[in-house]
Amino acid sequence: MVSSSSSSRSSPSSNPSVLIPPTMRRTMEEVWNDISLTTPHHERLLIPSDHQSYHHHHPASSPSFKGMILQDFLAGPLNRPRTISPHAVEELPLLPPPLSPTLPRTALSLNSGLEFEYLRPHADSHSNSSSNGQNTCFIPSAISGAIDGPPSPTALFSFCSKNRLPENSAVGADRYRRRMINNRESAARSRARKQAYTNELELEVSRLKEENAKLKKHYEELRSAMVAQQLKSNTLQRSFTARF
Amino acid sequence: MSRDPLILGHVVGDVLDPFARSVSLGVTYKNRLVINGSEFKPSAVVDKPLVQVGGDDLRIFYTLVMVDPDAPNPSDPTLREYLHWLVTDIPATTNASFVNCDVGDTGREIVCYECPRPASGIHRVVLVLLRQIGRETVFTPEMRHNFSTRRFAMEHYLVPVAATYYNCQREAGTGGRRFIRDDRC
Repeated sequence: MVSSSSSSRSSPSSNPSVLIPPTMRRTMEEVWNDISLTTPHHERLLIPSDHQSYHHHHPASSPSFKGMILQDFLAGPLNRPRTISPHAVEELPLLPPPLSPTLPRTALSLNSGLEFEYLRPHADSHSNSSSNGQNTCFIPSAISGAIDGPPSPTALFSFCSKNRLPENSAVGADRYRRRMINNRESAARSRARKQAYTNELELEVSRLKEENAKLKKHYEELRSAMVAQQLKSNTLQRSFTARF
Repeated sequence: MSRDPLILGHVVGDVLDPFARSVSLGVTYKNRLVINGSEFKPSAVVDKPLVQVGGDDLRIFYTLVMVDPDAPNPSDPTLREYLHWLVTDIPATTNASFVNCDVGDTGREIVCYECPRPASGIHRVVLVLLRQIGRETVFTPEMRHNFSTRRFAMEHYLVPVAATYYNCQREAGTGGRRFIRDDRC
């Protein structure tokens, strides 16, 4: 049963009737297949009905981890393949009762709640699966990796907008777009500023070079005039200031 | 694409129309000359600068206008332009001499100098020298904000002859977006 499965973590059980936490070697699909074959009804509810078909469409050959690619992750919680720890399965009934997939909106909100619960435990949770007595989930490190960093606007967006009412998502999209436009304008201004300053400096440099050349030339002329003057005045000369 | 810094920095578009430089203008804050597009902190521009006005004919008088076209925020310049300083009846001088725009010296300061203190964003502060047609032809504007140099020049028959600008942002570093308005993120 469930309790016995936790002890047999390292060796994938050949008994399909037992829920086993996924290991590094097993793909998500295998796990899901096991679950789907044997899962009792209340566990089934946690998985949206379209999930399985989704899963079959995406072969493990695509760049993915645990049978999931980043785009699918970002697509939203409904499409998210979920691995459920044996312990988590027990605790799930304690949460607000999961509704059937026929009410997607409320299921969505529940899922998002679950989602954020699941996201807190870290990537190490899937490595020491057997020992947990907590409500942990085995999150592929791809997911946890994506969450650990600052969520990109699109990721945050698919989180926020899809879990709320349609009006909120429209406003959110609007705000996001406006922010993007503002950012683009700021970036353009910044580039213009930089270009203007660079040009000014270049003009200044050429101006100074020109002035420098002119002054040097003037200096040379003066100098040669002075030298000529010196040569002339080496001999005694009658000066006009003499009284006589 | 012109290489004139005034055009690249959009001073010519936002504040002035294209004009021909005919008089030299030098603005110095605490021994540092203003170069187009250079950065000044508010602490560096607290006091009014020393302004050098060139020009050949001593009978011609000039008006100096200092405006901030990016008030209150360059992304949303609703108060464009904010008038910081307005000095009129500055006599033309030969290039080498100083013109100290203190009241009573040369030039009449009809809007006293207000230090630029940008709250957010990186603001351009533009100084424009305009040629007057005569003396005492310029009158005090009512408000500092929503000033328009173009309109002002048209009303008082002024012609721009020189301009320069610098950038100013908050004292404590990044003048990036700090506040979240209601309608934008």
